[in-house]
Amino acid sequence: MYWVASGFLFQRVDSIIQRLDPRVRLSLSLMLFILALISDSAIKITITMLTIISLALISNIAKRMARTTLFSATFAILIFLINLLLDYGLITSLVLALRFIAIITSTSFFFLTTSPDELECVMKWFRLPQDIIFAFVTAVRFVPVLMMDALQIMDAQRSRGLELDKGRFYKRIKNLIPILVPLVISAVIRSSELAEAMEVRAYGATKKPTSLYVLKMSNKDKFVMIMSIILFIPTIYLYLFAC
Amino acid sequence: MITFESVTYTYPNGITALREINLQINDGEMVAIVGGNGAGKTTLIRHINGLLKPSIGRVLVDGLDTRSASVAQLSRKVGIVFQNPDHQLFSENVEDEIKFGLKNFGFPEDIINKRVNWSLKFFDLEEYRKLSPLMLSGGEKKRLCLAAVLAWDPKILILDEPTVGQDFIQKERLSQIIKMLLTQGKTVIIVSHDIEFIWPLQPRMIIMSAGRIIADSPSELIFNNISLIKEAHLIKPQLVELYERLRVKPNKPFPNVYEARVWLMNKIRGR
Ligand SMILES: Nc1ncnc2c1ncn2[C@@H]1O[C@H](COP(=O)(O)OP(=O)(O)O)[C@@H](O)[C@H]1O
Ligand SMILES: [Mg+2]
Repeated sequence: MYWVASGFLFQRVDSIIQRLDPRVRLSLSLMLFILALISDSAIKITITMLTIISLALISNIAKRMARTTLFSATFAILIFLINLLLDYGLITSLVLALRFIAIITSTSFFFLTTSPDELECVMKWFRLPQDIIFAFVTAVRFVPVLMMDALQIMDAQRSRGLELDKGRFYKRIKNLIPILVPLVISAVIRSSELAEAMEVRAYGATKKPTSLYVLKMSNKDKFVMIMSIILFIPTIYLYLFAC
Repeated sequence: MITFESVTYTYPNGITALREINLQINDGEMVAIVGGNGAGKTTLIRHINGLLKPSIGRVLVDGLDTRSASVAQLSRKVGIVFQNPDHQLFSENVEDEIKFGLKNFGFPEDIINKRVNWSLKFFDLEEYRKLSPLMLSGGEKKRLCLAAVLAWDPKILILDEPTVGQDFIQKERLSQIIKMLLTQGKTVIIVSHDIEFIWPLQPRMIIMSAGRIIADSPSELIFNNISLIKEAHLIKPQLVELYERLRVKPNKPFPNVYEARVWLMNKIRGR
């Protein structure tokens, strides 16, 4: 449980990839996503998966990526089984299941390598409204906090004799109440505290607040961007028309 | 009796929070666990009711290995009250909150009602019986959490930072409750930084630092050791300071204000 959950926490790791401009990473992630979408044969999906895996290895996020995909793995297995039952054949079923995983991992590539600060910068660059950006980034930042809360709540209730993994389905659902109620309540308390703290620090006082971090493309960023596009276009062509 | 046999614990993220802990806590003992933030105090107490199982070594509670017992089984004996009341209160009213543990442990209805009435009275919460726990003040919430645990009468009581956010009167009351439990032969373990609160209880003090126990002795001996006090980020209780500044002094520091007063008055009258 904790092992899977901790995959979703952002950890700052350093590598060539993390040092790139977040917009370059976003475009890499998008290209991989498109490739994943159109990978409809064994060769294509193998190439797509290998690219994703090698990027994950370079950026030091392979372990965390494995954890986060653990959730979607169950769906992938389901996709595989359903297709098999519908007589699509072993290879096709496998390709479809892997394609699902490729779609998930290609998007998580961006989120696993991008810190909340960078995310904020990217969203600003897209000229999204300040309030929406703030709400989104805060939500992302709160995930680990809520996760720790949930673990502590589970500890507290288990210490009061609650047995989470016992009983029939209905009993198990009922067992979630002592966990979910404190979780929601402490989230509400936290958010109202946050709101007060923000107001005290003059959030919203000006329409256009200045940023602490400003995005700037270096030559290296531009090089990676151009190279990846140069590689991407013929690949798309081959994927669509050649094989 | 609680026994830690060279226990090492590593969290799934790789942080080793306990290193080779050897510890024995006997029935009826009053133990205070102190140490800086992140020293491993909470991790240690989570081992006593099996919420965490040792990575290496073993923990025995009354001879029962925590790895072979469920948390519920152990919690019947070991009542832990965690620091944050907002992490546990969830019921519609105060009464149900106390019933929760009793129901989980399968007490019969008539005993549940008896115990609930006793706890409400003992913790001075009777007037709130039908009120939502969320409507209570911070101090009352903490008292309710304690009431909800003591209701099932565990033989070992563990309190994690019980005095944080409590006013002086509530601390006094908590101190009285702890003393009463000790006279009933219960084991009480307190995790706390609040040295002024701990001192009058005259506990066995266990000092932790970076996952290890660096000292374990009666509280009056701890404060003789200046380098240890520094290492543990402790300051001396005021009664120890007072004792040390006296030129003529009794054979050991005053355990509480009342005894200090009696001794000082006698000396002044004697002149
Ligand atoms: N759920 C957890 N997951 C990972 N690491 C943890 C967890 N809880 C505590 N730790 C780490 O273990 C160490 C000891 O923590 P803890 O036992 O809570 O210390 P204390 O209660 O003495 O302040 C700290 O370094 C803390 O960061
Ligand atoms: Mg703690």
